[in-house]
Amino acid sequence: MVQFMNTVFNGVSLSSIILLTSLGLAITFGLMRVINMAHGEFLMIGAYMTYVVQNIFAKFLPESVFSLYYFVAILAAFAVTFLLGALMERFIISKLYGREIDSLLATWGISLILQQAARSIFGMQGVNVTAPSFLNGGLEIGGCTFSYNRLFILVMVVACMLLVWYIMYKSNFGKQMRAVMQNRSMAQCMGINSKKVDMITFSFGSGLAGIAGCSVALLGSIDSTIGQSYIVNSFIAVVLGGVGKLIGTVFGSSIIGFASIGIENYTSASIAKAAVLFIVIVVLQFRPQGLFTIKSRKLDE
Amino acid sequence: MLKITDMDSYYGESRIIPSLSLDVEKGKVVCLIGRNGVGKSTTLKSIMGLVKTPKGSIKLDGEEIINMPTYNRVRGGIGYVPQGRDIFPQMTVYENLMLGLQARGGKGELPDYIYELFPILEKFEKRKGGDLSGGQQQQLAIARALVTQPKILILDEPTEGIQPSVIQDIGNVIRKINKELGLTVLIVEQYLDFVLSISDYLYIMEKGEIILQGNTSELDAQEVQDQMTH
Repeated sequence: MVQFMNTVFNGVSLSSIILLTSLGLAITFGLMRVINMAHGEFLMIGAYMTYVVQNIFAKFLPESVFSLYYFVAILAAFAVTFLLGALMERFIISKLYGREIDSLLATWGISLILQQAARSIFGMQGVNVTAPSFLNGGLEIGGCTFSYNRLFILVMVVACMLLVWYIMYKSNFGKQMRAVMQNRSMAQCMGINSKKVDMITFSFGSGLAGIAGCSVALLGSIDSTIGQSYIVNSFIAVVLGGVGKLIGTVFGSSIIGFASIGIENYTSASIAKAAVLFIVIVVLQFRPQGLFTIKSRKLDE
Repeated sequence: MLKITDMDSYYGESRIIPSLSLDVEKGKVVCLIGRNGVGKSTTLKSIMGLVKTPKGSIKLDGEEIINMPTYNRVRGGIGYVPQGRDIFPQMTVYENLMLGLQARGGKGELPDYIYELFPILEKFEKRKGGDLSGGQQQQLAIARALVTQPKILILDEPTEGIQPSVIQDIGNVIRKINKELGLTVLIVEQYLDFVLSISDYLYIMEKGEIILQGNTSELDAQEVQDQMTH
């Protein structure tokens, strides 16, 4: 029983981490159809921002407020990646709309530049952040320990999901965003400034990657390749769930998360990885559009 | 109301319309007709700023708009109903209508007369736009353009692929908004009977140029017919 509970919790936890790293991608890739190879590096920047903010707190502020650094780090990570996303959209992506291959290459170049920049600034060695004190330890229920770290990430995912949901479906900007993503020129004909919407949407997706980076900083050491290790799973989650559907990303992440943990339990980590890819291939054979597809009556065909 | 002078329109590198001039008088229903591929839709897209117009002038109520981005033209008072309707398929009928308010800053309520003009839309308020029939989508597209509270309404082939009874409804609505709301209307159309029954003024286009124009009542229907079919 304890074993089972642990497996479930690990599955939920891994799913939530994949989901958090996929949310931004679900927006920039899923909604906007921009293949941003540098998305993982935004995650890396978010993680390094956590490290930087932590050091600033350790150096300049009294120890009693040290634990609060993490909340500042979340905001800082979001702000910095949001801004970088805005710059990147304005000067590179927006010039390459409708040219997927070109934007793929350009963003891959940016990814390499950012990785090298991280190595130049922070060195080859990974750096670590000290988790804020309130995240030490864990919650014990019936012999199982749920670490606060991972519970906190779970809460972050839920918070981010709510934020995305609110912005997309409840705010006026969300209306504009959905209109632009469904039909750019018609959205303009409704009086919507689609360029502005594109830029803010891309920046928002990038900002979410920053927040995700902030939370993966809690899980292990941070180096220049941290983005690469998460981004593959994220792309798979978005594609598996069905591009353009947020709910699909939730399911995609869960399937990958639970399958990895479940299979790993009975075999080994590398077999689990192969098995997950196998599952994805099989699913996409039968549902090439992903699990959740957008259905509508097409009258002009 | 809307005055185009010596305008060139391009699709990519090729010039579709050379030096077009066209005048839509305030309060009138004006039709632009012609056969397939003569540049009618491109003319409307030029007015909306959806194709390149490097030369010439488009004036809305005396104000030059040729260099304005599309969204500002809409905010300035041009309502556009494109060919193929371009309903947002994953949004409900209501959400599609509410999008029209974006031209007015995203605030406010739907004008009452929208559901009076199109009772079917009130009935189907919660359906997805993509699930409506062609005629219903056309009505939704017109209603949505009206929500932007335009000074001039521009329609691209509103009768295309639509059953006769709905065409009649649409004709009645256009007459109504023209008479009762005083809205100026510009229609691109191929269906001659519809055009003759609804318009005050006619332009006939051929290879990007206006070859005949005049008050509908004064033009010879047979001559118009010949121009369309020769």
